[in-house]
Parts: sequence; C-alpha cells; structure tokens
Amino acid sequence: MNPIIQVEHFSKKYGDFTAVDDISFTVDEGSIFAFLGPNGAGKSTTINTLCTILDKTEGTLTINGHDVSRERGLVRKDIGIVFQDSTLDAQMTVEENLKYHCAFYKVPRNEVRERITFALDLVELTQWRRAAVGSLSGGMKRRAEIARGLVHDPKVLFLDEPTTGLDPQTRANVWEYIQRLQKQKNMTIFLTTHYMDEAEVCSRVVIMDHGKIVAHDTPENLKHQYTGTEVDVVCTGTEPLESALQERDVPYRKVKNKLIFHTKKAPAALEILSAHRGEIMDFEVKNGTLNEVFLAITGKEIREG
Amino acid sequence: MNPIIAIVQRNLLNYVRSKGRVFGALFMSMFMLVMFSFLMRSSMSGLDAPMPYLISGVIIMSVFQVSVNNSSDILTDISSGYMKEVLVAPIARTQISMGHILSGAVIAALQGVVTMICGIVLGLRVGILQILLLTAVMLVSAMTFSAVGLFLATVSRNSPAFQTISSMIMMPLTFVSGAYIPTTMIPGFLPPIVYLNPLTYTTSIFRYIALGAHTLTKQELVGQGMAFSIGGFVITPLMGLAITLLIGAFFFVLCVRSTIKVAVGMRGGGAAARR
Repeated sequence: MNPIIQVEHFSKKYGDFTAVDDISFTVDEGSIFAFLGPNGAGKSTTINTLCTILDKTEGTLTINGHDVSRERGLVRKDIGIVFQDSTLDAQMTVEENLKYHCAFYKVPRNEVRERITFALDLVELTQWRRAAVGSLSGGMKRRAEIARGLVHDPKVLFLDEPTTGLDPQTRANVWEYIQRLQKQKNMTIFLTTHYMDEAEVCSRVVIMDHGKIVAHDTPENLKHQYTGTEVDVVCTGTEPLESALQERDVPYRKVKNKLIFHTKKAPAALEILSAHRGEIMDFEVKNGTLNEVFLAITGKEIREG
Repeated sequence: MNPIIAIVQRNLLNYVRSKGRVFGALFMSMFMLVMFSFLMRSSMSGLDAPMPYLISGVIIMSVFQVSVNNSSDILTDISSGYMKEVLVAPIARTQISMGHILSGAVIAALQGVVTMICGIVLGLRVGILQILLLTAVMLVSAMTFSAVGLFLATVSRNSPAFQTISSMIMMPLTFVSGAYIPTTMIPGFLPPIVYLNPLTYTTSIFRYIALGAHTLTKQELVGQGMAFSIGGFVITPLMGLAITLLIGAFFFVLCVRSTIKVAVGMRGGGAAARR
C-alpha cells in the first residue's frame, strides 16, 4: 500500500518548549489511522501542522506527495478536516454551509448539488438541509460537520476527536458513518480520539506522549505486546488451584473464593482450568484492551487531564 | 463560484438575516443625520449653504462608522470557529481579506444610500448623475474604511478590545475630518492629523460632488475646506480620492498579514494553546 501521509523527523517548538520532538510515521492510503495520546502530548500540534495551520520547526511532512509547508494550496485541496470544536457557520443552513464549502474548494458547479445530496444522505441529514445550523442538536451538528468535511472529496479526512461530547447512541452512529465513508470512498482517515473502542477498529495506531511517539503498530500487536489475558475463576475451594498456580510461578490475587491471574495468551489458561474443572464454579477470560495498552505505555488513563 | 464572491454573498446573507442589526444601523444613521444637521448648524456660519454642507458631511461620516463597526464581523467568525474553516480552505489570504472588505463596503454603501435619501428629504439638492457619483464615492471610501476596520479587528483579536480601540481612533478622526466642523476652523497644530486622515479626503470629494462645487476655483475650494493647501501645494478633491485609495491599499496589505497571524494564533487544543 502507498503511504499517503509521510512524516519524517518532524519537530515543533514554541520558544523553549518542544511540543513535538523528532517524530516519524507514515499513513497508508485508504486506511483508518488512529493517533492517540494524553492531553498535551502534541497530537493537536501535529494535526494542525499537517493541516497547514501551523508551521513546522524541523522535518518533512508530505500529504499525497505535496509538502505541507511549501505547497499549502495543493495540500489544502487534498484534505478535509473536522476539528475538535465546531467550525460551522451557525447563521447559515446545513445546505448553505456545504455550498460555500464547495465554493472555497472549487468543486465544479455542475457537481455541487449532487455532492451535497450524497454527503447529506451519508450522514442522514437530508431532511434537515434547510435548517439553520444553530438550531440543530449536538449530534446533528457533528454529522453536518463531517458531511462538510467530505463534500469536496478529500483524499485524507482528518477527524480530531469527532465523537467527544456526544451521547453513546450518537457516538455509535457517527462512528458508523465514518466507517461507511471509508469503505465507500476508500478515503484515508486520520483520527484522534479519547475512546479506545474506536481505535480498536483502526488499521494502525500511533501513541504519543511528551511530544514523542511511544508506540506505532496495529491494535492487535499492541495488545499482544503490552497486555495479557486476565482469568477470573470462582472456586468451591481455592487451595488446590492456588497451589497449582504457585507451582507454576503465576502471581494471583484472591478475592473471597475468586482467584484472579494473568497469562500471556488465553489458551495457556486452558491447561490449568481443565485440570481443576471439578472445583470451578464459574470463570471469565478477559482479553487485553487498548485502554490497558495505553495505560501501560503512558502510565495515564486516556481520559485524564 | 469564486471564493471572494462566496465570502461576500455569505456575509451579506448573514447581515440581512440579523434584522435587528439592519434596523438599528439604519436608525442610527438617520438619527445622526437629523441631530447633527440641526445642532451643528451654527458652527457652519460663513458658508454659502450650511445645511447641504453639513448633511453631506454627516452622510459620509456615517459610511465611515458603519464600515469600521461592521469589520467586527470577522471577530464573530473567529470566536465561533468558522474562521478556521475558511483558513484551512485552499483560498489565498488576499481573497479572504478582499471578501470581507468588499462585503463590509457594500453594506456601508447601501446604508449610505438610505442616509443620502433622507438627506435629500432634509434639503440636499442633487441630480441623478450626482447620486450615482456619490454612491460610487461611498463604495470606494467604504472599502478603505473597511480595510482600516478589518486591520483593527484582526490585531485586537476580540470584540471588547476592538470596541475600545476603534472608538478611540474613530472619534478624533471624525472630528478632524471636517465632517462636522470645517477643517478651516480646526486649530493650527492639528493639520498633520487632518492630512493623514482618509476621512478628510472622502468628506472633501463627497462634498465636492454633492454641492456641485466643480465651478469653484482652487482658491475657493480651499476656503470652503474642500481642497487643502500644504505649503502652497493644493490637494484637490480628486487627488484626495486617490490618497484615500492608497491608504486603503496600505491597510489591505496589513490585513492580509494580520490574517496570517490570526491563523497562527489558532493553535487548537491541548497544552500548546496555553503556552
């Protein structure tokens, strides 16, 4: 697959403060790419530099072969952006927002109507096209913003926390539109999010902390590398199982008649469990999550300030 | 659609939709016209036609105020976040500034036309050709004033700061422009400000056309405060219009540069914004 975004040795300094410190990564064309990190890690600085709002201090950043500092116009044409905070024109209707966007991006006149219809259909806002943006609910605004971000057919769509502040139902819907969009248009999606379940379905994940990249891999590999499988067993009597665990040097915790231990992979637990099936009343096997990966790497919960 | 036209159309639509604003602005222009025309009458003694002289001054002055005040629209766009959408679009900074200046100028000129119609009711005598010329002068002057206003707005960054800075600058400029008090009556130490003030020249060309003063000699124009003699060199009303445009062009360049700074100021999210 072709890398559509290439970042090499990118640094950004604000005076003495280094917000981003010599990072390099690539994003494959047509993939969903998740960019994670605690607040202040340098995510927004990186996104804003890729979107041509900020200028880099050092390094090379290209999108679709165009340098983001020297060919701003060409880069801007190729990208769509949904910012963290709303950037909609509240006085205008949904349709007008999209119409002016098309004018800014020089969408051919005879295609404007068709593209607006397509984009609004995708996010199910067709019946609200003539409503003033200011009168829409939070979730509808987000959808309108996504529709506007993709109406000019960008090669890369940047979504900076697209679902933050939405209720679970709307969040699930918005996320469904994003995935549908990626499939239908084979668009590259560059996502930052606070929700680890959203990052799970991405093809690649980059985790930043203190201006550096601390992990760059597929969600599966990251989970494999940084987390294990947790096994919770409820026993009639805990002693036989405890001694079996001690024999194997497996650390465990005991909560009343429940034993909690970790194995590298789920099948490894099978052997212990089957040997003691007589004493086991109930058990649960939990696979590692990206949240645990994040915690293991950065030492912080992603939701913390 | 050309991006400049798109910005102009969007700004005009936005203006028309805020009905309270349209009404308030028109009311203010008319109120000022009536009040000043009658109150300031006495200061105009010694002129052939004090009322038309004053009315024409008040009309162009209202165009000035509306243009500068409307420039704060861009601050609403910055605070609502919409400016970000415009700044990341593949449009040149010159096009963004031009769009805002043009839309501001069109709004101000339209209000000027309404004020002019009231002026005609109050005793300004002008023909069709004069009305057309005056409208053109208002549009051109409004572009310069909008450029000044847009620059002030982009450097002040927020509405309260803009209000303070703009009124601090508008008040003195209005009083030394000759709109209310003829420049011939302004104390001797002020002329440098008088001659650097674009409102001085727009007032002079506007009056020159409104009063049909083309029949007057240069000397008479200087005497009436419609032309200015600097060390023997006479700035005619037409030269004044050219100076106005130059000042406008100068501020246009400043606007484009400060729009870029606005973009840089938007660091967005996270710790970077606080630093």
